[in-house]
Amino acid sequence: MIGTGVLRAEWTKFSSIRATMVLAPASVAVAGMLGWLFGNATAGDYAVATAQERLDFQPLEMGMRGLYIVQVLIAALGVLIVSSEHGGGTMRASLAAVGRRGHLLAAKAGLTVMTALPVSVASVWLMYVTSQSTLAAGGASHMTPGEPAVLRMLLAGPLVLTALALFGLSLGFLLRGTAPAVNVSTAFLLLPLFATIAPDFMNGLLEVYWPNVAALQVVSGASPLPAWAGYGLLAGFVAAMLGAAFVHFGNHDA
Amino acid sequence: MIQLNALTKRYGDVVAVDDLTVTVRPGLVTGFLGPNGAGKTATMRMILGLDLPTSGSATIDGRPHHELPSPLRVIGSMLDAQAVHPQRTAYKHLLYLAQSNSIPAGRVAEVLDLAGLADVAGRKAGGFSLGMSQRLGIAAALLGDPPVVVLDEPVNGLDPEGVRWIRTLIRGLAAEGRTVLVSSHLMSEMAVTADRLVVIGKGRLIAEAEIGEFTETGSTVLVRTPEAAAFSRRLELSGAHVQAGDDDELLVTGMTAPDVGRLAAAEGVPLFELTQRRVSLEDAFMELTRDSVEYGAAR
Repeated sequence: MIGTGVLRAEWTKFSSIRATMVLAPASVAVAGMLGWLFGNATAGDYAVATAQERLDFQPLEMGMRGLYIVQVLIAALGVLIVSSEHGGGTMRASLAAVGRRGHLLAAKAGLTVMTALPVSVASVWLMYVTSQSTLAAGGASHMTPGEPAVLRMLLAGPLVLTALALFGLSLGFLLRGTAPAVNVSTAFLLLPLFATIAPDFMNGLLEVYWPNVAALQVVSGASPLPAWAGYGLLAGFVAAMLGAAFVHFGNHDA
Repeated sequence: MIQLNALTKRYGDVVAVDDLTVTVRPGLVTGFLGPNGAGKTATMRMILGLDLPTSGSATIDGRPHHELPSPLRVIGSMLDAQAVHPQRTAYKHLLYLAQSNSIPAGRVAEVLDLAGLADVAGRKAGGFSLGMSQRLGIAAALLGDPPVVVLDEPVNGLDPEGVRWIRTLIRGLAAEGRTVLVSSHLMSEMAVTADRLVVIGKGRLIAEAEIGEFTETGSTVLVRTPEAAAFSRRLELSGAHVQAGDDDELLVTGMTAPDVGRLAAAEGVPLFELTQRRVSLEDAFMELTRDSVEYGAAR
Protein backbone atom coordinates (compact mmCIF):
# COMPACT_ATOMS: atom_id res chain seq x y z
CA MET A 1 0.00 0.00 0.00
CA ILE A 2 1.48 3.32 -1.04
CA GLY A 3 1.06 6.08 1.48
CA THR A 4 -1.12 8.96 0.31
CA GLY A 5 1.71 11.16 1.58
CA VAL A 6 4.00 10.01 -1.23
CA LEU A 7 1.27 10.82 -3.75
CA ARG A 8 0.67 14.25 -2.20
CA ALA A 9 4.39 14.89 -2.39
CA GLU A 10 4.30 14.08 -6.10
CA TRP A 11 1.50 16.59 -6.60
CA THR A 12 3.52 19.25 -4.74
CA LYS A 13 6.47 18.59 -7.05
CA PHE A 14 4.25 18.66 -10.14
CA SER A 15 2.50 21.88 -9.16
CA SER A 16 5.62 23.77 -8.11
CA ILE A 17 7.47 23.83 -11.43
CA ARG A 18 6.62 25.70 -14.59
CA ALA A 19 7.09 23.04 -17.26
CA THR A 20 4.34 20.71 -16.03
CA MET A 21 1.94 23.47 -15.02
CA VAL A 22 2.25 25.10 -18.45
CA LEU A 23 2.23 21.92 -20.51
CA ALA A 24 -1.02 20.64 -19.01
CA PRO A 25 -3.29 23.56 -20.01
CA ALA A 26 -1.26 24.10 -23.19
CA SER A 27 -2.16 20.57 -24.33
CA VAL A 28 -5.85 21.39 -23.97
CA ALA A 29 -5.47 24.69 -25.82
CA VAL A 30 -3.55 23.02 -28.65
CA ALA A 31 -6.23 20.32 -28.87
CA GLY A 32 -8.99 22.93 -29.22
CA MET A 33 -7.04 24.85 -31.82
CA LEU A 34 -6.21 21.76 -33.88
CA GLY A 35 -9.88 20.74 -33.82
CA TRP A 36 -10.77 24.11 -35.26
CA LEU A 37 -7.95 24.02 -37.88
CA PHE A 38 -8.67 20.50 -39.14
CA GLY A 39 -12.41 21.19 -38.99
CA ASN A 40 -11.96 24.28 -41.12
CA ALA A 41 -9.66 22.64 -43.65
CA THR A 42 -11.87 19.57 -43.92
CA ALA A 43 -15.01 21.65 -44.36
CA GLY A 44 -13.24 23.39 -47.25
CA ASP A 45 -12.42 20.03 -48.86
CA TYR A 46 -15.99 18.87 -48.31
CA ALA A 47 -17.38 21.88 -50.13
CA VAL A 48 -15.59 20.93 -53.35
CA ALA A 49 -15.89 17.12 -52.94
CA THR A 50 -17.76 14.83 -55.35
CA ALA A 51 -20.93 13.04 -54.28
CA GLN A 52 -19.04 9.77 -53.81
CA GLU A 53 -16.38 11.48 -51.70
CA ARG A 54 -19.11 12.99 -49.56
CA LEU A 55 -20.58 9.53 -49.00
CA ASP A 56 -17.19 8.18 -47.87
CA PHE A 57 -16.51 11.23 -45.68
CA GLN A 58 -15.55 10.37 -42.07
CA PRO A 59 -16.17 13.57 -40.13
CA LEU A 60 -14.96 12.22 -36.77
CA GLU A 61 -11.71 10.74 -38.07
CA MET A 62 -10.95 13.82 -40.19
CA GLY A 63 -11.81 16.31 -37.47
CA MET A 64 -9.81 14.54 -34.76
CA ARG A 65 -6.53 14.17 -36.70
CA GLY A 66 -5.01 16.64 -34.24
CA LEU A 67 -4.91 13.82 -31.68
CA TYR A 68 -1.65 12.72 -33.30
CA ILE A 69 -0.09 15.98 -32.11
CA VAL A 70 -1.84 16.09 -28.73
CA GLN A 71 -0.68 12.56 -27.89
CA VAL A 72 2.91 13.83 -28.11
CA LEU A 73 2.22 16.61 -25.62
CA ILE A 74 0.46 14.34 -23.16
CA ALA A 75 3.21 11.72 -23.37
CA ALA A 76 5.67 14.56 -22.65
CA LEU A 77 3.67 15.35 -19.53
CA GLY A 78 4.37 11.80 -18.33
CA VAL A 79 8.05 12.18 -19.20
CA LEU A 80 8.34 15.39 -17.17
CA ILE A 81 6.89 13.82 -14.04
CA VAL A 82 10.11 11.79 -13.84
CA SER A 83 12.66 13.76 -15.82
CA SER A 84 12.12 17.03 -13.96
CA GLU A 85 13.65 15.18 -11.00
CA HIS A 86 16.70 14.17 -12.99
CA GLY A 87 17.04 17.62 -14.51
CA GLY A 88 16.68 19.41 -11.19
CA GLY A 89 18.90 16.92 -9.37
CA THR A 90 16.15 16.08 -6.88
CA MET A 91 15.89 12.37 -7.66
CA ARG A 92 18.39 11.62 -4.90
CA ALA A 93 16.55 13.76 -2.39
CA SER A 94 13.31 12.05 -3.38
CA LEU A 95 14.86 8.60 -3.03
CA ALA A 96 16.46 9.44 0.30
CA ALA A 97 12.93 10.35 1.43
CA VAL A 98 11.14 7.38 -0.14
CA GLY A 99 13.51 4.46 0.11
CA ARG A 100 11.19 1.93 -1.47
CA ARG A 101 11.67 2.61 -5.13
CA GLY A 102 8.56 0.71 -6.17
CA HIS A 103 6.53 3.11 -4.04
CA LEU A 104 8.04 6.15 -5.69
CA LEU A 105 7.39 4.71 -9.14
CA ALA A 106 3.83 3.77 -8.21
CA ALA A 107 3.18 7.25 -6.81
CA LYS A 108 4.49 8.82 -10.01
CA ALA A 109 2.33 6.51 -12.10
CA GLY A 110 -0.64 7.44 -9.91
CA LEU A 111 0.03 11.13 -10.32
CA THR A 112 0.46 10.67 -14.08
CA VAL A 113 -3.02 9.18 -14.30
CA MET A 114 -4.49 11.83 -11.99
CA THR A 115 -3.08 14.69 -14.06
CA ALA A 116 -3.08 13.23 -17.58
CA LEU A 117 -6.65 11.93 -17.39
CA PRO A 118 -8.35 15.30 -16.79
CA VAL A 119 -6.05 16.92 -19.35
CA SER A 120 -6.93 14.15 -21.83
CA VAL A 121 -10.66 14.45 -21.18
CA ALA A 122 -10.52 18.21 -21.65
CA SER A 123 -8.36 17.87 -24.80
CA VAL A 124 -10.49 15.25 -26.52
CA TRP A 125 -13.81 16.85 -25.63
CA LEU A 126 -12.66 20.32 -26.64
CA MET A 127 -11.24 19.01 -29.90
CA TYR A 128 -14.50 17.21 -30.58
CA VAL A 129 -16.51 20.38 -29.97
CA THR A 130 -14.29 22.66 -32.04
CA SER A 131 -13.86 20.23 -34.94
CA GLN A 132 -17.48 19.14 -35.29
CA SER A 133 -18.89 22.63 -34.76
CA THR A 134 -16.49 24.04 -37.37
CA LEU A 135 -17.53 21.27 -39.79
CA ALA A 136 -21.17 22.05 -39.10
CA ALA A 137 -20.61 25.78 -39.56
CA GLY A 138 -18.85 25.03 -42.88
CA GLY A 139 -21.87 23.10 -44.05
CA ALA A 140 -20.03 19.76 -43.96
CA SER A 141 -21.23 16.44 -42.61
CA HIS A 142 -20.53 16.20 -38.88
CA MET A 143 -21.37 14.02 -35.91
CA THR A 144 -23.43 14.68 -32.80
CA PRO A 145 -22.85 13.31 -29.29
CA GLY A 146 -25.60 10.68 -29.29
CA GLU A 147 -23.89 8.53 -31.93
CA PRO A 148 -21.96 5.43 -30.72
CA ALA A 149 -18.78 6.43 -32.58
CA VAL A 150 -18.79 9.77 -30.80
CA LEU A 151 -19.39 8.19 -27.43
CA ARG A 152 -16.48 5.85 -28.07
CA MET A 153 -14.27 8.80 -28.96
CA LEU A 154 -15.30 10.84 -25.93
CA LEU A 155 -14.98 7.99 -23.44
CA ALA A 156 -12.14 5.85 -24.78
CA GLY A 157 -10.09 8.64 -26.39
CA PRO A 158 -8.96 10.15 -23.07
CA LEU A 159 -8.03 6.70 -21.74
CA VAL A 160 -5.79 6.08 -24.75
CA LEU A 161 -4.03 9.42 -24.26
CA THR A 162 -3.60 8.72 -20.54
CA ALA A 163 -2.01 5.37 -21.36
CA LEU A 164 0.43 7.24 -23.60
CA ALA A 165 1.32 9.51 -20.66
CA LEU A 166 2.30 6.34 -18.78
CA PHE A 167 4.41 5.38 -21.80
CA GLY A 168 6.16 8.77 -21.46
CA LEU A 169 6.63 8.18 -17.73
CA SER A 170 8.32 4.83 -18.44
CA LEU A 171 10.69 6.47 -20.91
CA GLY A 172 11.54 9.10 -18.30
CA PHE A 173 12.60 6.35 -15.90
CA LEU A 174 14.50 4.42 -18.57
CA LEU A 175 16.32 7.35 -20.21
CA ARG A 176 16.67 9.64 -17.15
CA GLY A 177 16.44 12.95 -18.90
CA THR A 178 13.85 15.24 -20.46
CA ALA A 179 15.55 15.65 -23.83
CA PRO A 180 16.25 11.99 -24.62
CA ALA A 181 12.90 10.79 -23.28
CA VAL A 182 10.82 13.41 -25.08
CA ASN A 183 12.73 12.84 -28.31
CA VAL A 184 12.32 9.07 -28.20
CA SER A 185 8.67 9.34 -27.20
CA THR A 186 7.88 11.82 -29.97
CA ALA A 187 9.76 9.82 -32.60
CA PHE A 188 8.04 6.63 -31.52
CA LEU A 189 4.56 8.13 -31.56
CA LEU A 190 4.98 9.94 -34.88
CA LEU A 191 6.87 7.24 -36.75
CA PRO A 192 3.62 5.76 -38.19
CA LEU A 193 3.13 9.00 -40.14
CA PHE A 194 5.92 7.77 -42.37
CA ALA A 195 4.25 4.42 -42.97
CA THR A 196 3.59 5.20 -46.63
CA ILE A 197 7.29 5.55 -47.42
CA ALA A 198 8.31 2.57 -45.29
CA PRO A 199 9.16 -0.79 -46.88
CA ASP A 200 6.22 -3.20 -47.18
CA PHE A 201 6.94 -5.34 -44.13
CA MET A 202 7.17 -2.19 -41.98
CA ASN A 203 4.12 -0.68 -43.56
CA GLY A 204 1.62 -3.07 -42.00
CA LEU A 205 3.32 -2.86 -38.64
CA LEU A 206 3.25 0.93 -38.60
CA GLU A 207 -0.21 1.45 -40.08
CA VAL A 208 -2.10 -1.18 -38.14
CA TYR A 209 -0.20 -2.71 -35.24
CA TRP A 210 1.95 0.14 -33.87
CA PRO A 211 0.62 0.50 -30.30
CA ASN A 212 -0.59 4.10 -30.35
CA VAL A 213 -1.97 3.78 -33.91
CA ALA A 214 -3.80 0.55 -33.12
CA ALA A 215 -5.64 2.18 -30.22
CA LEU A 216 -6.22 5.60 -31.79
CA GLN A 217 -7.66 4.05 -34.95
CA VAL A 218 -10.10 1.99 -32.92
CA VAL A 219 -11.12 5.16 -31.14
CA SER A 220 -11.71 7.09 -34.36
CA GLY A 221 -13.41 4.14 -36.02
CA ALA A 222 -10.81 3.62 -38.75
CA SER A 223 -9.14 0.41 -37.60
CA PRO A 224 -9.16 -2.91 -39.42
CA LEU A 225 -8.60 -4.52 -36.00
CA PRO A 226 -11.34 -5.49 -33.53
CA ALA A 227 -11.60 -3.02 -30.66
CA TRP A 228 -10.19 -5.39 -28.03
CA ALA A 229 -7.11 -5.98 -30.15
CA GLY A 230 -6.47 -2.28 -30.70
CA TYR A 231 -6.79 -1.42 -27.01
CA GLY A 232 -5.02 -4.63 -26.01
CA LEU A 233 -1.95 -3.85 -28.10
CA LEU A 234 -1.57 -0.46 -26.42
CA ALA A 235 -2.34 -1.75 -22.93
CA GLY A 236 0.13 -4.62 -23.27
CA PHE A 237 2.79 -2.33 -24.64
CA VAL A 238 2.40 0.25 -21.86
CA ALA A 239 2.37 -2.48 -19.22
CA ALA A 240 5.62 -3.88 -20.64
CA MET A 241 7.21 -0.42 -20.65
CA LEU A 242 6.16 0.20 -17.04
CA GLY A 243 7.55 -3.20 -16.11
CA ALA A 244 10.86 -2.37 -17.76
CA ALA A 245 10.92 1.00 -15.98
CA PHE A 246 10.26 -0.73 -12.64
CA VAL A 247 13.10 -3.21 -13.14
CA HIS A 248 15.50 -0.55 -14.38
CA PHE A 249 14.66 1.95 -11.62
CA GLY A 250 14.88 -0.71 -8.93
CA ASN A 251 18.28 -2.00 -9.99
CA HIS A 252 20.30 1.05 -10.90
CA ASP A 253 22.20 3.62 -8.90
CA ALA A 254 20.32 6.89 -8.65
CA MET B 1 23.72 3.80 14.69
CA ILE B 2 25.08 3.11 11.24
CA GLN B 3 26.73 -0.20 10.49
CA LEU B 4 28.77 -0.94 7.42
CA ASN B 5 29.46 -4.59 6.97
CA ALA B 6 32.11 -5.54 4.38
CA LEU B 7 30.60 -2.83 2.20
CA THR B 8 31.99 -2.92 -1.32
CA LYS B 9 31.13 -0.89 -4.42
CA ARG B 10 32.54 -1.22 -7.91
CA TYR B 11 31.78 1.14 -10.76
CA GLY B 12 32.91 -0.88 -13.75
CA ASP B 13 36.55 -1.67 -13.08
CA VAL B 14 36.98 0.96 -10.42
CA VAL B 15 36.66 -0.17 -6.83
CA ALA B 16 35.23 2.86 -5.04
CA VAL B 17 34.61 1.21 -1.67
CA ASP B 18 36.56 -1.86 -0.68
CA ASP B 19 35.40 -4.19 2.09
CA LEU B 20 34.56 -1.42 4.55
CA THR B 21 33.42 -2.51 8.01
CA VAL B 22 32.68 0.38 10.35
CA THR B 23 30.24 1.16 13.15
CA VAL B 24 29.14 4.76 13.57
CA ARG B 25 27.92 5.20 17.14
CA PRO B 26 25.26 7.50 18.60
CA GLY B 27 26.07 10.51 20.76
CA LEU B 28 29.29 11.27 18.92
CA VAL B 29 30.31 13.23 15.89
CA THR B 30 32.11 10.79 13.64
CA GLY B 31 34.35 12.43 11.08
CA PHE B 32 34.56 10.55 7.82
CA LEU B 33 37.84 11.52 6.34
CA GLY B 34 39.80 10.77 3.24
CA PRO B 35 41.38 12.45 0.25
CA ASN B 36 39.18 13.35 -2.70
CA GLY B 37 38.11 10.18 -4.49
CA ALA B 38 38.61 8.00 -1.41
CA GLY B 39 35.04 6.69 -1.53
CA LYS B 40 33.38 8.85 1.13
CA THR B 41 30.47 9.97 -1.01
CA ALA B 42 29.98 6.52 -2.52
CA THR B 43 29.76 5.10 1.00
CA MET B 44 27.22 7.71 2.05
CA ARG B 45 25.18 7.09 -1.09
CA MET B 46 25.01 3.40 -0.22
CA ILE B 47 23.96 4.18 3.36
CA LEU B 48 21.10 6.24 1.88
CA GLY B 49 20.08 3.56 -0.60
CA LEU B 50 20.96 5.71 -3.62
CA ASP B 51 23.66 3.39 -4.87
CA LEU B 52 23.34 -0.35 -4.51
CA PRO B 53 26.31 -2.13 -2.88
CA THR B 54 28.18 -4.59 -5.07
CA SER B 55 28.48 -6.70 -1.93
CA GLY B 56 28.21 -6.26 1.81
CA SER B 57 25.61 -4.08 3.48
CA ALA B 58 24.91 -0.75 5.12
CA THR B 59 22.25 -0.61 7.81
CA ILE B 60 20.70 2.16 9.88
CA ASP B 61 19.61 1.01 13.32
CA GLY B 62 19.72 -2.53 12.00
CA ARG B 63 17.77 -2.02 8.79
CA PRO B 64 18.83 -1.18 5.25
CA HIS B 65 17.50 2.13 3.96
CA HIS B 66 15.08 0.58 1.48
CA GLU B 67 13.26 -1.16 4.33
CA LEU B 68 12.54 2.03 6.25
CA PRO B 69 8.85 2.99 5.96
CA SER B 70 9.54 6.69 6.67
CA PRO B 71 13.25 7.17 6.01
CA LEU B 72 13.38 10.88 6.88
CA ARG B 73 12.24 10.09 10.41
CA VAL B 74 15.21 7.74 10.83
CA ILE B 75 18.06 9.25 8.82
CA GLY B 76 18.45 12.82 7.64
CA SER B 77 21.03 13.63 5.04
CA MET B 78 22.66 16.27 2.92
CA LEU B 79 24.74 14.94 0.07
CA ASP B 80 24.50 17.64 -2.56
CA ALA B 81 23.09 20.93 -1.33
CA GLN B 82 22.60 22.19 -4.87
CA ALA B 83 20.20 19.36 -5.70
CA VAL B 84 17.06 21.46 -5.50
CA HIS B 85 14.88 22.19 -8.52
CA PRO B 86 15.79 25.79 -9.42
CA GLN B 87 12.14 26.76 -9.99
CA ARG B 88 10.90 25.37 -6.71
CA THR B 89 10.72 27.55 -3.61
CA ALA B 90 12.55 26.54 -0.45
CA TYR B 91 9.18 26.01 1.22
CA LYS B 92 7.81 23.74 -1.51
CA HIS B 93 11.03 21.75 -1.61
CA LEU B 94 10.78 21.00 2.10
CA LEU B 95 7.01 20.56 1.89
CA TYR B 96 7.18 17.73 -0.64
CA LEU B 97 9.87 15.99 1.38
CA ALA B 98 7.73 16.33 4.52
CA GLN B 99 4.58 15.06 2.79
CA SER B 100 6.36 12.01 1.47
CA ASN B 101 7.08 10.94 5.05
CA SER B 102 3.80 12.19 6.55
CA ILE B 103 5.65 14.83 8.53
CA PRO B 104 3.26 17.66 9.49
CA ALA B 105 3.63 20.80 7.36
CA GLY B 106 4.25 22.82 10.54
CA ARG B 107 7.63 21.17 10.85
CA VAL B 108 8.69 22.79 7.56
CA ALA B 109 8.36 26.24 9.12
CA GLU B 110 10.32 25.05 12.15
CA VAL B 111 13.33 23.83 10.18
CA LEU B 112 13.25 26.90 7.93
CA ASP B 113 13.49 28.98 11.09
CA LEU B 114 16.22 26.80 12.52
CA ALA B 115 18.26 27.15 9.33
CA GLY B 116 17.74 30.90 9.26
CA LEU B 117 15.80 30.71 6.00
CA ALA B 118 12.38 31.90 7.23
CA ASP B 119 12.69 35.15 5.27
CA VAL B 120 13.49 33.47 1.95
CA ALA B 121 11.09 30.52 2.26
CA GLY B 122 9.04 31.76 -0.70
CA ARG B 123 12.03 32.35 -2.97
CA LYS B 124 13.02 29.99 -5.74
CA ALA B 125 16.02 27.87 -4.87
CA GLY B 126 17.64 28.65 -8.22
CA GLY B 127 18.55 32.08 -6.89
CA PHE B 128 20.15 30.81 -3.70
CA SER B 129 23.81 31.33 -2.90
CA LEU B 130 25.87 28.28 -2.01
CA GLY B 131 25.56 29.19 1.66
CA MET B 132 21.76 29.42 1.45
CA SER B 133 21.57 26.12 -0.44
CA GLN B 134 23.71 24.55 2.26
CA ARG B 135 21.31 25.82 4.91
CA LEU B 136 18.37 24.48 2.93
CA GLY B 137 20.12 21.12 2.73
CA ILE B 138 20.58 21.11 6.51
CA ALA B 139 16.93 22.07 6.98
CA ALA B 140 15.93 19.10 4.81
CA ALA B 141 18.22 16.79 6.79
CA LEU B 142 16.57 17.78 10.07
CA LEU B 143 12.99 17.70 8.75
CA GLY B 144 12.10 14.33 10.25
CA ASP B 145 13.90 15.00 13.55
CA PRO B 146 15.99 11.92 12.76
CA PRO B 147 18.19 10.04 15.25
CA VAL B 148 20.83 9.61 12.53
CA VAL B 149 22.27 12.47 10.47
CA VAL B 150 24.66 12.13 7.52
CA LEU B 151 26.29 15.22 6.01
CA ASP B 152 28.68 15.21 3.06
CA GLU B 153 31.20 18.07 3.22
CA PRO B 154 28.77 20.40 5.00
CA VAL B 155 31.17 23.34 5.41
CA ASN B 156 32.33 23.43 1.80
CA GLY B 157 31.95 26.88 0.36
CA LEU B 158 30.53 28.48 3.49
CA ASP B 159 31.54 31.84 4.89
CA PRO B 160 33.07 31.86 8.40
CA GLU B 161 29.75 32.60 10.05
CA GLY B 162 28.14 29.68 8.23
CA VAL B 163 31.01 27.39 9.16
CA ARG B 164 30.60 28.30 12.81
CA TRP B 165 26.83 27.75 12.59
CA ILE B 166 27.26 24.26 11.15
CA ARG B 167 29.93 23.31 13.70
CA THR B 168 27.72 24.36 16.58
CA LEU B 169 24.75 22.58 15.06
CA ILE B 170 26.68 19.34 14.52
CA ARG B 171 28.03 19.36 18.07
CA GLY B 172 24.50 20.01 19.33
CA LEU B 173 23.04 17.09 17.36
CA ALA B 174 25.56 14.69 18.86
CA ALA B 175 24.99 16.12 22.34
CA GLU B 176 21.30 15.27 21.92
CA GLY B 177 22.37 11.65 21.48
CA ARG B 178 22.08 11.44 17.71
CA THR B 179 24.40 9.52 15.46
CA VAL B 180 26.25 12.07 13.35
CA LEU B 181 28.44 11.16 10.38
CA VAL B 182 30.20 14.09 8.71
CA SER B 183 32.56 13.72 5.80
CA SER B 184 35.41 16.04 4.98
CA HIS B 185 38.67 16.02 3.12
CA LEU B 186 40.05 18.58 5.58
CA MET B 187 41.56 17.21 8.77
CA SER B 188 41.67 20.68 10.30
CA GLU B 189 37.88 20.91 10.06
CA MET B 190 37.44 17.52 11.71
CA ALA B 191 39.85 18.46 14.47
CA VAL B 192 37.36 21.02 15.79
CA THR B 193 34.11 19.11 15.30
CA ALA B 194 34.64 15.36 15.47
CA ASP B 195 34.95 13.05 18.49
CA ARG B 196 35.93 10.08 16.48
CA LEU B 197 37.48 9.61 13.07
CA VAL B 198 37.10 7.05 10.35
CA VAL B 199 39.84 7.53 7.78
CA ILE B 200 39.63 5.87 4.38
CA GLY B 201 41.80 5.94 1.29
CA LYS B 202 41.15 4.29 -2.05
CA GLY B 203 37.98 2.85 -0.59
CA ARG B 204 39.72 1.01 2.22
CA LEU B 205 39.62 1.63 5.94
CA ILE B 206 42.93 3.15 7.05
CA ALA B 207 42.20 4.04 10.64
CA GLU B 208 39.31 4.29 13.06
CA ALA B 209 39.78 5.80 16.50
CA GLU B 210 38.99 8.58 18.98
CA ILE B 211 40.42 11.82 17.72
CA GLY B 212 43.04 12.03 20.50
CA GLU B 213 44.59 8.73 19.52
CA PHE B 214 45.53 10.07 16.13
CA THR B 215 47.85 12.67 17.64
CA GLU B 216 49.16 10.57 20.51
CA THR B 217 50.35 7.66 18.42
CA GLY B 218 52.64 9.99 16.55
CA SER B 219 53.82 12.20 19.42
CA THR B 220 57.48 12.53 20.29
CA VAL B 221 59.41 14.06 23.19
CA LEU B 222 62.38 16.28 22.45
CA VAL B 223 65.18 16.06 25.05
CA ARG B 224 68.42 18.08 25.17
CA THR B 225 71.05 16.89 27.55
CA PRO B 226 74.89 17.03 27.65
CA GLU B 227 74.88 13.31 28.44
CA ALA B 228 72.91 12.37 25.34
CA ALA B 229 74.63 9.09 24.57
CA ALA B 230 74.38 7.65 28.09
CA PHE B 231 70.83 8.83 28.64
CA SER B 232 69.82 7.41 25.27
CA ARG B 233 70.91 3.92 26.38
CA ARG B 234 69.12 4.37 29.72
CA LEU B 235 65.88 5.38 27.92
CA GLU B 236 66.02 2.40 25.64
CA LEU B 237 66.49 0.09 28.64
CA SER B 238 63.19 1.53 29.95
CA GLY B 239 61.45 0.63 26.72
CA ALA B 240 61.47 3.96 24.88
CA HIS B 241 62.53 4.35 21.30
CA VAL B 242 65.25 6.95 20.84
CA GLN B 243 66.53 8.69 17.78
CA ALA B 244 69.62 10.91 18.04
CA GLY B 245 69.08 14.45 16.80
CA ASP B 246 71.57 17.27 16.30
CA ASP B 247 74.37 17.52 18.90
CA ASP B 248 72.81 16.95 22.28
CA GLU B 249 69.26 16.30 21.10
CA LEU B 250 67.28 13.11 21.51
CA LEU B 251 63.90 12.38 19.95
CA VAL B 252 62.04 9.98 22.22
CA THR B 253 58.93 8.05 21.27
CA GLY B 254 57.05 5.53 23.37
CA MET B 255 57.41 7.46 26.60
CA THR B 256 55.61 10.56 27.86
CA ALA B 257 57.45 13.77 28.70
CA PRO B 258 56.79 13.49 32.48
CA ASP B 259 58.20 9.95 32.50
CA VAL B 260 61.30 11.07 30.64
CA GLY B 261 61.73 13.89 33.19
CA ARG B 262 61.30 11.54 36.16
CA LEU B 263 63.82 9.10 34.72
CA ALA B 264 66.35 11.91 34.20
CA ALA B 265 65.86 13.10 37.79
CA ALA B 266 66.29 9.56 39.16
CA GLU B 267 69.49 9.11 37.15
CA GLY B 268 70.77 12.59 37.95
CA VAL B 269 71.00 13.54 34.29
CA PRO B 270 70.84 17.29 33.68
CA LEU B 271 68.21 18.31 31.12
CA PHE B 272 68.44 21.53 29.09
CA GLU B 273 65.15 20.98 27.35
CA LEU B 274 62.15 18.67 27.64
CA THR B 275 59.37 19.30 25.10
CA GLN B 276 56.32 17.28 24.16
CA ARG B 277 56.00 17.52 20.39
CA ARG B 278 52.45 16.79 19.43
CA VAL B 279 52.00 15.86 15.80
CA SER B 280 49.21 17.93 14.33
CA LEU B 281 46.14 16.06 13.13
CA GLU B 282 46.87 17.43 9.71
CA ASP B 283 50.28 15.76 9.70
CA ALA B 284 48.86 12.55 11.09
CA PHE B 285 46.27 12.52 8.33
CA MET B 286 48.81 13.23 5.59
CA GLU B 287 51.00 10.45 6.93
CA LEU B 288 48.08 8.02 7.03
CA THR B 289 46.77 8.73 3.59
CA ARG B 290 50.04 9.36 1.79
CA ASP B 291 49.84 6.06 -0.06
CA SER B 292 46.23 6.45 -1.03
CA VAL B 293 46.04 9.91 -2.54
CA GLU B 294 44.78 9.53 -6.09
CA TYR B 295 46.39 12.54 -7.65
CA GLY B 296 49.27 13.67 -5.43
CA ALA B 297 52.02 16.08 -6.32
CA ALA B 298 55.38 14.46 -6.96
CA ARG B 299 57.47 14.13 -3.81
